[in-house]
Amino acid sequence: MRRRVGGTAEEILARHEVQPRHEAQAPQPVNDTCSQREHAHEEVLAHGHAPVAPVRQPARGAARLRAVTLESSSGTSVLTSAVGSPELWIGVHLPVRSAQAVRQWENNPRIAQGMPSGMDAILQAQGTKRLLERLAIRAQRFTPRVSLVPPDGLLLEVKGSLHLFNGAQGLCKAVADECLALGVEPMLALSPTPLSALVAARSGRPFAVRGLAQLVGELSTLPLATLRWPREMLDRLAHMGVRTIGQALRLPRAGFARRFGTDPLLMLDRLTGRDADLRERFRARERFRRRRDLNYELESQAAILRALEPLLRELGSFLRVRQCGILQLQCLLQHRHAPVTRCELRLCAPSADVGRLGELLGERLGQLVLPAPVRSCELRSGVLIPSVLASNPLWQPGEHGGTASAESSGLIERLRGRLGHEAVYCLQVLPGHRPERSWGVAEPEGRPGADRVRADRASPGQLHGNTARASCDAPQPPWPAFSRPLWLLPEPRRLAQRNGLPHCGGPLRLLGDPERIETGWWDDGPIERDYYAALDSRGVRLWVFRERASAHRWFLQGVFG
Amino acid sequence: MSADSGLTRLLEHPAIWRGRSVARTEVIPTGFDALDECLPGGGWPRTGLMEILVSSFCVGELYLLLPALAALTQSPAARWCVWTISGAASSLTPQSSAKQAGEARDDSPASRPDDPAASRAGLPPGADFLHPFAPALAAHGMALRRMLVVRAPAQSMWAFEQSLGSGACDAVMTWERGLRAAQIRRLQLAAERGRALGILFRPLNAARESSPAILRLALEPVLNGVRIAFLKSRGGARGTIEIAWQRRVALPEKELSGRRAGPAEPGKPALQAGSAGS
Repeated sequence: MRRRVGGTAEEILARHEVQPRHEAQAPQPVNDTCSQREHAHEEVLAHGHAPVAPVRQPARGAARLRAVTLESSSGTSVLTSAVGSPELWIGVHLPVRSAQAVRQWENNPRIAQGMPSGMDAILQAQGTKRLLERLAIRAQRFTPRVSLVPPDGLLLEVKGSLHLFNGAQGLCKAVADECLALGVEPMLALSPTPLSALVAARSGRPFAVRGLAQLVGELSTLPLATLRWPREMLDRLAHMGVRTIGQALRLPRAGFARRFGTDPLLMLDRLTGRDADLRERFRARERFRRRRDLNYELESQAAILRALEPLLRELGSFLRVRQCGILQLQCLLQHRHAPVTRCELRLCAPSADVGRLGELLGERLGQLVLPAPVRSCELRSGVLIPSVLASNPLWQPGEHGGTASAESSGLIERLRGRLGHEAVYCLQVLPGHRPERSWGVAEPEGRPGADRVRADRASPGQLHGNTARASCDAPQPPWPAFSRPLWLLPEPRRLAQRNGLPHCGGPLRLLGDPERIETGWWDDGPIERDYYAALDSRGVRLWVFRERASAHRWFLQGVFG
Repeated sequence: MSADSGLTRLLEHPAIWRGRSVARTEVIPTGFDALDECLPGGGWPRTGLMEILVSSFCVGELYLLLPALAALTQSPAARWCVWTISGAASSLTPQSSAKQAGEARDDSPASRPDDPAASRAGLPPGADFLHPFAPALAAHGMALRRMLVVRAPAQSMWAFEQSLGSGACDAVMTWERGLRAAQIRRLQLAAERGRALGILFRPLNAARESSPAILRLALEPVLNGVRIAFLKSRGGARGTIEIAWQRRVALPEKELSGRRAGPAEPGKPALQAGSAGS
């Protein structure tokens, strides 16, 4: 064991090449605890005792980075390909005219009759993306480290899985079979760095390199176009006589970087394994969907809610395991002879609280009129949203300025559950002078805690309420605040008139000068009105207007508060 | 004299509590100095239920509250300011106007005579919901992001109580007729539970009934403001005061009769300052 540890990185790699099945005994860092345990096991078998000596790290280059799974800030995990780390990638390239695309082409008469080529490309791109995701889901049975390279590439890190699928050949065959099952004929390549595996797969040549030492040599004959650099750049390189990757690698680095920038240089480094290559791990989009068939028919809403309870519990553990919340939940109730009853729940903020979801669902179910008894029920969740962990506030809401984010969305959902989605809303100011078009309904923001972030995105006419100063910055309307009513009628209401004066439960007394609003000539709602404040017999101030058109009718449009 | 000093000494005894020396409560300045002086603590209560009784809805009760509501919604940790628009709020416009409007033009789909909300509250048909006018509210300083409108024709009291007790609201308002004292008691408890200010607008005839609300005011319109009568105020002043709005909302008599640029010549307005509307 000791004897083997020594030596340069090259030697280690060479050994690693010679004995691919025993590479675990080489002192490179390992991916995860599972394989570490495996190594220890192998060593115990070989030497009869567990290794105690500290493993010396190879001098330089090799194993500078460990292959680890990093949690990036966005919560998605990133696969790092380490320099010289024991990794083996399978690159899968789906040919553009794949069998499935051809089949789609043939099956769809609309396309076959001659579609514009752009549309064709879009359809094909959508098809390929879906195909790629389906393939990635299937490929996850070979390794958890699958990464998509849109539009037509797939990468699998298979070092740890080789011995499970009869070595590299068996594994490649299994991957190819999966692709063939989906109707695609893939091109595969095996290489220690992800980019080189992908590039080699694109080239379509047979390519199976197990160690970094041979990588550069094998890569050198591949055409440069497989790197997918911009056409103009490839042309310039071609003028310089550089047509293969090997020729590009031989160029002086400084000059290359000066002419083409550092990005292509970085790409070449990743290609040869000099630099780490970060790849995002593919995660299948998941949704919760469970159905429960009842062996009796239910009519009462309370009983249905009880029947839904196990499903809700399942949903709870599903969300807890994934650390996710949902914004939408659909409950489908099936009847013997009637169409399916749907009951949809929409939340303001992602929630994984099953108790609350059940409460809201009960509120919704209470309003449903069921056409027939229920035979089976089903829960379907919307898209999963990673839940953000937040600490509990120190103060109660409303106490010493404590915020109420959880209560806030809870209140809106409860109110909406009983009164309907449209009955609860926020207001916003819309630009324009026509009173009936100068306001609109806005969706309430569920989390007051996020005010500061959202202030930038608020509409320009809307007051920013973070501080008193912020609200002063909002554009002031051209009219004084007291010249507009606080209430607006949904539609202007015609007023009776006597001697050209409006009557509303008695004669109205007009106060002050008229304000003329004349706008909207460019669309379907032009107005020409003279607005007055008017006092009715009970001392309520009304906002009335007189049409400037020939009828000169009087209308009531608003009430001052 | 000696009896007076003896009384003073007696009143200094810590065992004696006087009505005015109630516990300090958190308040919101009303925005009107004269009103602040008369209210216990110097402003609207931060928590609890208050009643504002009006001779008819929309006589200026919102203008009275707007400065405080604007300040509440603008604070950094603002919670919701909920406007529960009930069936009663639809009668904000005068009843006879609805009747006349019905004669003049009755094509509004919402003006069904069998409107459940309207018939429940004994309201005239044709009274549809009024919408809070966002541009005017924004011009008065309300932060619209923190203002929530809840339209609950039939279940406004449920919505009002839920909002009050949720802890997610700073202030909740509703317009309602015909409430019982037990209901108001329930609302008051909800307001304390949710640390919210509940504002209940009721017609003036409710002044005869007792109420568990912590503050009861009666409003009457005057020309350029309102006259406020304090019906119930824990440790506050009694009597009436008049509040004028900051900006003129109605022109004085002279200007009104002076130049008339309107298309229709109104009759001689018989407005006397201070006498209108009472």
